[in-house]
Amino acid sequence: MRAYRAKNKFWTWVRVAFLWAAVLAVLFPYTWVVLSSFKSPADLTNPTKLVFAPVLDNWARVFAGGIVNNFGLSLLVGLATVLITLLAGTPAAYAISHYAVGGRLARFGILLAELIPPSVLVVPLFLVSYDLRVNGMVIPVIVAHLTFVLPVVTWFLISFFDDIPRDLEQAALIDGCTRFQAFLKVVLPQVLPGLGAAAIFGFVLSWNDMFYALILGGETAKTLPVAIAGYNTFRGVQLGDMSVAILVSVLPTLLLSFFIQRRMIRGIGGGGVKG
Amino acid sequence: MDDRRVDTAQRPFSRLFPYEWRMMTPLLAVMVIILAYPIAYSAWLSFRNVDLTKPGRDAFVGFDQYVTVLKQPLYWTALTNTFIFVAVAVTLELVLGLALAVSLKKQKRFRNLTRAILLTPMFVTPIAVGLMFRFLLNNQLGLVPVILQKLGISIDFFSADLALLSLALIDVWQWTPFMMLMLLAGLENLPEEPHEAAHVDGANAWQTLIRVTVPMMKPIILVAVLIRALDALKVFEYVYAITRGGPGAATETLQFFIYKIGFGYYRLSEAAAVSWTVVILVMAVLVLSLWRTTRGRSA
Repeated sequence: MRAYRAKNKFWTWVRVAFLWAAVLAVLFPYTWVVLSSFKSPADLTNPTKLVFAPVLDNWARVFAGGIVNNFGLSLLVGLATVLITLLAGTPAAYAISHYAVGGRLARFGILLAELIPPSVLVVPLFLVSYDLRVNGMVIPVIVAHLTFVLPVVTWFLISFFDDIPRDLEQAALIDGCTRFQAFLKVVLPQVLPGLGAAAIFGFVLSWNDMFYALILGGETAKTLPVAIAGYNTFRGVQLGDMSVAILVSVLPTLLLSFFIQRRMIRGIGGGGVKG
Repeated sequence: MDDRRVDTAQRPFSRLFPYEWRMMTPLLAVMVIILAYPIAYSAWLSFRNVDLTKPGRDAFVGFDQYVTVLKQPLYWTALTNTFIFVAVAVTLELVLGLALAVSLKKQKRFRNLTRAILLTPMFVTPIAVGLMFRFLLNNQLGLVPVILQKLGISIDFFSADLALLSLALIDVWQWTPFMMLMLLAGLENLPEEPHEAAHVDGANAWQTLIRVTVPMMKPIILVAVLIRALDALKVFEYVYAITRGGPGAATETLQFFIYKIGFGYYRLSEAAAVSWTVVILVMAVLVLSLWRTTRGRSA
């Protein structure tokens, strides 16, 4: 028995050490970027220097350089994508969950859209936006982001609607609501937390995309990820500036992530569980 | 009792176009515009000769574009590289993700904080991840090579031999959290009894994990691996941020190859053809893996 306990203790230590190592591996790059963003050019050439006089030059330069515009553009694209997604996806998710519209095909088929590589869609989207003279604007970027945000968010919403009892609508109908009123006023408020989490998740997906934004937005509609990539090539490497730009794009999604982590487990696994 | 419903159900319009399908309409309309139409257009393009640098030569060319693509050695390099990248990254992510999920499940102190920190990488934009690691691993400015050098180890992470592996490790940093999240969800839904039974029978922790836990989690492991593999197949940002396909063609991947042909040289039909070969490959792998699991279930 004592041997068993000693062995158990050993494995506990291994487990704790492993988790600590993982946490450090995750935090290490963040720490380095934060430090780099406050370093002067001379200090940047000495990566092991941990104690240095922090300067705000990098931050001032990046904000003077128009990153606020890129930030605003990313925000606009993300919000527009999420708005359209919720308007189209919410009623459909409800119909698929509570009325089994399209059966299992609709429930799982919606995920098939995720199988299509962006490289298939980007060529026609590029040509069509060229023909419609909207290339280099945010419109094709929003359309492109819908192609992957809409299916995933709808998939999440289906699982959240699955958790709502069916009698809720019936009760509202007896009280004299039409079916659409019952949906809006009775069912929808019940899924509001899930809806919020799905919306945030969709926003993060849109915010983080670079492939579509690079090709469809071009030079004129640069979202944040495209702008960050620009610090890499423009006049060589500006490490300090780039660190600031990285932080500007990463901090919002990291903050948002803390709000949705719990619900994501239900969302990802859920749509299929009760199907 | 609710005559209002009976009423609407008997109107001919409602019978032909029932409420639940009206609710589906916005989604279906958007899906047709943003997915069905571009997919059809892309397939059509792959049989034509659209090249933005040579306007006016557009014509139906049959399978010519596909033949051109398959004849290029660079295409096959990109295919092999992508396959190696996906295999290395997803295997490591599965092993590490499982280890993390098991460790996290037993954890008691700092439970929420640890989980919150460990999940963050998957929320970072991939281009930022690529750039962070480009400079962390850079030979002159990077912290990691400098530290390694002090220990007497000299590694060039982005040399021809190691570049692809380094990119796969970056993918591991970013996406192991996703694997961990899926497997943790699976673990927490497992019944306790089989584990207790294994314990009573004298199985140690390792035996329980391999013989009891993993087999019970097979479905969720398969789903997680499939999702990750399909996503890793689209690797683009790390290549764009760090190596641009080099040195030589060591990190040429499919998505980057398509980007170069389509939007570097503007040979749009050829780019469409390459992307359709990827779709066919993905579908084949998917059908095969699903066929194998369903066959395994019936046997």
